[in-house]
Amino acid sequence: MNSTNRFLNRLFVLIAGLVLLVAGVGVCLGALIPGLQQPISDAALDAAGEVPGTLDAQPWILWAAAAAAAVIITVLFWFVLRQGRGRTSVLLESGGTGGDVVIDAKVAAHVLEQSLARHPRIVSVDVVAFQLRGERVLRITVQARRGSSPVHLRSLVDQSVAEWDALLGQQVPVVIQIVSGLRADLTGTARVA
Amino acid sequence: MTREALYRRAVRRETHSPRSVPAIALAVVLILVLALLGVESVLAAIGQSPLLIAPATLLSSVLQATAAPAAILVACGALGAILGVALMTVSLTPGRRGRRAAHTDRTAALADDRVIAQAIAQSAAEAADVPANQVHVSVGSRSIGVDITPTSGRLLDEQAIRDAVDQELAGYDYRPALRPRVQVLKKGTIA
Repeated sequence: MNSTNRFLNRLFVLIAGLVLLVAGVGVCLGALIPGLQQPISDAALDAAGEVPGTLDAQPWILWAAAAAAAVIITVLFWFVLRQGRGRTSVLLESGGTGGDVVIDAKVAAHVLEQSLARHPRIVSVDVVAFQLRGERVLRITVQARRGSSPVHLRSLVDQSVAEWDALLGQQVPVVIQIVSGLRADLTGTARVA
Repeated sequence: MTREALYRRAVRRETHSPRSVPAIALAVVLILVLALLGVESVLAAIGQSPLLIAPATLLSSVLQATAAPAAILVACGALGAILGVALMTVSLTPGRRGRRAAHTDRTAALADDRVIAQAIAQSAAEAADVPANQVHVSVGSRSIGVDITPTSGRLLDEQAIRDAVDQELAGYDYRPALRPRVQVLKKGTIA
């Protein structure tokens, strides 16, 4: 639920795939059509002979290539580093008469984890806040003990959320995730319903 | 943004892959290649010896490669085209993450397919009165397969198992919904 730009990711992969596909098909066709390879390779060999002379005569080409590489590398770094952000440490901010109130996401995490973690059907609870479309959303991840019903777990979490709502006096959007992990696999089944 | 739209978006983001891994891998490969090209260009421009290959040599050899035998060119081209199709497939397919969403009211909720499988396995094992490791559950996109290995010499009440699985699934409101397919295997095992 982070702020990764998924459309951009897919667009980037799509364009790379398209370029590879077109280049690959182009090379195949050029090599397979008999009348095509000869003139192209002749022209290319002529051009290849001129490369060292041209680069020596016009060194700006090399600088321009280096500058272009640097610019594209910067853009790609930005693209890689902006993946997976969007977590926020602040859950609620409200300004009013007499001062501002800021509620940290950790408060919600402590309260909800405290009320849920001791339940025998839950292995662990993890609560984080995300910024999604300008709104702050709480994500509760519950690791279920092997064999427990996800519907039952959800109603447990819903109860805790209702208590948290009463405590906060306001309803923050909540997304519940019921997952199973390595720890859930190792701890065995819950034997008491 | 309304609460429903926000939840829809959150659920969509949690049930589908962001495709970060292929995108980052591609970006890193491109960064490395461009860094090499950039460094080689600067080295050539200031007249130093190249690290791996001088830009002029690289350019000439790419141009000379057009004269290579057709078989090699076709092989390289086909390899590129296949990789391209693979990347386009990754980009255009939904990339579901093996999770499904329940109905939304005060909260939105998602469950891993593994949790669903383990819960169904537990109910089936209880109904069949076999140890949990004799039940194998596989969750597909719209169906859930329950395979039970009976204990040798004991009869299983298949209908009871079916009812138990149906009853457990009836309480689930996950989308896409799951159709159960219960099967008691012919070969038994020694418990």
